Amino acid sequence: MHIKFNDQLLQLTANCTVAELLIQQQIQPQGLAVAINNTVIAKQQWPQHQLRDNDCVNLFHIVTGG
Amino acid sequence: MLRIADKTFNSRLLLGSGKFASPQLMQQAVAASNCQLVTLALKRLELDKPQDDLLSPLKAMNVQLLPNTSGAKTAKEAVFAAELAREALQTHWLKLEIHPDARYLMPDPIETLLAAEQLVKRGFVVLPYCSADPVLCKRLEQVGCAAVMPLGAAIGSNQGLQTRAMLEIIIEQATVPVIIDAGLGAPSHAAAAMELGAAAVLVNTAIASSDNPVAMAHAFALAVEAGHSAFTAGLAHHNNQAIASSPFTDFLAAL
Repeated sequence: MHIKFNDQLLQLTANCTVAELLIQQQIQPQGLAVAINNTVIAKQQWPQHQLRDNDCVNLFHIVTGG
Repeated sequence: MLRIADKTFNSRLLLGSGKFASPQLMQQAVAASNCQLVTLALKRLELDKPQDDLLSPLKAMNVQLLPNTSGAKTAKEAVFAAELAREALQTHWLKLEIHPDARYLMPDPIETLLAAEQLVKRGFVVLPYCSADPVLCKRLEQVGCAAVMPLGAAIGSNQGLQTRAMLEIIIEQATVPVIIDAGLGAPSHAAAAMELGAAAVLVNTAIASSDNPVAMAHAFALAVEAGHSAFTAGLAHHNNQAIASSPFTDFLAAL
């Protein structure tokens, strides 16, 4: 299946969870937020939340700011 | 002691973490300021860039992290950013800011009130950055904001308390902490805000853009403490003519 991952097209094997995707892409979970199809996915859901074909996954992180 | 929602803080200085030359300098300024509340922002992750670990040093300093919704132009965007921030930092504390105009960064009062109402219902502790409008500040309080954060002047302008007369009304009417946010360019501005009776001030640019941010952070901390002590002590009244401080006697009349 394919997902859109921060605007990049990414091919994934089936049954991939959000947590697995982050490990696969070597992304540190600290200070990170994930939205799928413009819905924020709670951190506790990452190990269970299965990605679907054509999902649009966006990652956000904490930066400095006033 | 500053009390916001269910938390108490010894320091009445909140520090913004933006614009510092490096994360290390920001952390040193946080330490020098003794502040216990530090604001942070959100950004879309750039996959090809290495990420600094901002959070571990701040957590080690035991400061309350306060994510903002900067970048949001509408209530809908702010609510989305708030939910991202809650997940990213695992905190329901939020500095709500909605400024659609990049030139003056004036907060949109209508969208801010709409977002505040929704976010309070969703369980956030909402600290809204807002115009120095006494009516708006009361409305924000009524929808359940834990504090109000009216501006002294435009963000990053360093112009001080341009809104002074309105801030005095806001402070007089408020039943939640009033935190003067934005525009404070010098420790004397922060002291003046505290002398008016502000519960706290939030400073970023004036510290981060100083030649010596660590020393300036300390200077702001001293000014905030001095201003608050002066307010607590009760400032003496203004007079339109001189009132002698020394005895005004005729002891030199014999000359």
